[in-house]
Amino acid sequence: MNDLLADAIFWAFAAGSVTTGLRVFRTDSMMRAAFYLLASFAGVGGILVLLGAEFLGMVLILMMAGEMLIMAIVMVMFMMNPAGLNPMWMVHQHRVAVAAGAGSFVLLASLPFLVKFPDRPAPQPEEATAELGTELLGDSMLVFQTAGVALLSTMIGAVVIANRSGRFGVAEEGSQEPTVEPGAGDQR
Amino acid sequence: MTLEAVLVVAAALVGIGVYGALSQQSFVMLMMGLELMINGAILALVALWSASAGGNPQGQMLGVVFMTVMAVEMALGFALVTNVYRVRRADITEKLRRLKG
Amino acid sequence: MSEYAAAGVAIAAVGAALLAGVYFVAVFDRLIGALVEGRPLQWSRLLAEPVQSSALMAVQQRRTTERPDAPAWALAPALFAGLAAVALAMVPLDRDLVATDPATGFVVFSAAIAMVMIAVYLHGWSPNSAFALHGAYRYGAQALSFQIPFLLAMLATVLPAESLSIVEIVNAQESLWNVVRQPAGLPLYLVVGVAVSFWGPLNLPDGSDLAGGTSVEDSGLSRLLWKAARAAMLVSVAAMGAAAFLGGWWGPWLAGPVWVVLKTVALLGVLLASGHLLARVRIEQFVLVSWVVLIPLALLNVFVSGAFLL
Repeated sequence: MNDLLADAIFWAFAAGSVTTGLRVFRTDSMMRAAFYLLASFAGVGGILVLLGAEFLGMVLILMMAGEMLIMAIVMVMFMMNPAGLNPMWMVHQHRVAVAAGAGSFVLLASLPFLVKFPDRPAPQPEEATAELGTELLGDSMLVFQTAGVALLSTMIGAVVIANRSGRFGVAEEGSQEPTVEPGAGDQR
Repeated sequence: MTLEAVLVVAAALVGIGVYGALSQQSFVMLMMGLELMINGAILALVALWSASAGGNPQGQMLGVVFMTVMAVEMALGFALVTNVYRVRRADITEKLRRLKG
Repeated sequence: MSEYAAAGVAIAAVGAALLAGVYFVAVFDRLIGALVEGRPLQWSRLLAEPVQSSALMAVQQRRTTERPDAPAWALAPALFAGLAAVALAMVPLDRDLVATDPATGFVVFSAAIAMVMIAVYLHGWSPNSAFALHGAYRYGAQALSFQIPFLLAMLATVLPAESLSIVEIVNAQESLWNVVRQPAGLPLYLVVGVAVSFWGPLNLPDGSDLAGGTSVEDSGLSRLLWKAARAAMLVSVAAMGAAAFLGGWWGPWLAGPVWVVLKTVALLGVLLASGHLLARVRIEQFVLVSWVVLIPLALLNVFVSGAFLL
């Protein structure tokens, strides 16, 4: 594959990834937002494959497909307006958020032009996959195992937190938050 | 496809994520902002691994750790959303005011 | 330039193979149905009927619903068919005859299977219709349940090959096919294969109890495309099963590609026969069996095949 084609594919993925990333917060439906986020991740997965990290890129897409489906289901379970039949604009501190987002973009985007990174390109992708496998079960075994144990404890913790029969009795009967203003009534 | 170009794209993703995490009221939309930030971080990490780490496999290893972090964040986030909804009937951040000064 | 020509030939070959596979599934399914019910075989009708009904569907008027998500609705069948093509492109016909053989072929195939749930969910969600959304949720439950046993059953085939590449997985089966080496692997894979393209006993998302489930609002060309995409996915699953468990091109007397096609047809026969012989499973039963039986079984399969390789 020549450089021109690789560049064209990269810019297509990059543009797609950033536009769909923006659309996540600019759409009327949370369901659409989840699918836009998935598209953004798929674009990044494609760029990772182009960069030579084939395994990471494909695993990112694999993982995100399941995650976005769960996200869509959670949205319909708890959130208002999942279908997008009405306009949705649920934001707070919007100006601050825009400023913070733009500021962090400018700050981070200027870094690669201010810092000189060493020029040591990685070898061929196929070797990279095999090397990652050796690294996972070789020198970085402890890291890999720790990640596994962290995931296991997350699973247990998530099940305990989300359980209906909570620690202090049935979760639905749990604490109703007191209102801040006296006499304002609860917002149930 | 220079290193600078990839890093700018990663910065754009992180910037959008910061905007989303700060501006959205809904818990799940807020988590989407966090996800986008991690997304950009993974992209920047792999770009640096590919262009200036000489193919050191520990760079990819760090990518695997990032993905673990993402999975942990999602799982615990969904569990907390479920619990908060059960206990407080809240689906947006404004309804949780107990810790507000 | 020859590099691009080769890529074009490979893409065209995968597309042609999928089209032929879809037609074959349509004929084979009717053939098995006739055999099971003991009806006399009318070959000319058997061969012509899929073409006729496809032509009818293609020219039928299309209807729409109130405020659908039109782009997503149009995208879903295309995404499903594209994923089937991605999955099929990984399957080698012979040691040197494969559309593409990435070093991470196993992960690419798994990612394609995982994205199928997005395609089906989009298809059920986008028409803005209650039954279709019901079907989408059923597939969500089904897909999240079969994902883990599927990954584990396929993962066991990677162990003897010591590589994620599909060609290497087939190559490692020269002396002993994985179906013998890991007896639990193929049955697990077939259950999951039926679930992926929601065929026969696991046709819950598009089931007739939901008046057609996710495709209840489809009509005309998009209905045809959706049906074709489902059949294409079934072909891809069967072909990958032949490569990963039945030794791909390995076999006596015949040439490698012939063996691949024969084994694929055999697995397709099993998958399609399940639709005519088995009763439909309820969704909560499938979810329960997946988590309680299939996942431990698949884990055991990985541990045992790993222990044999030590």
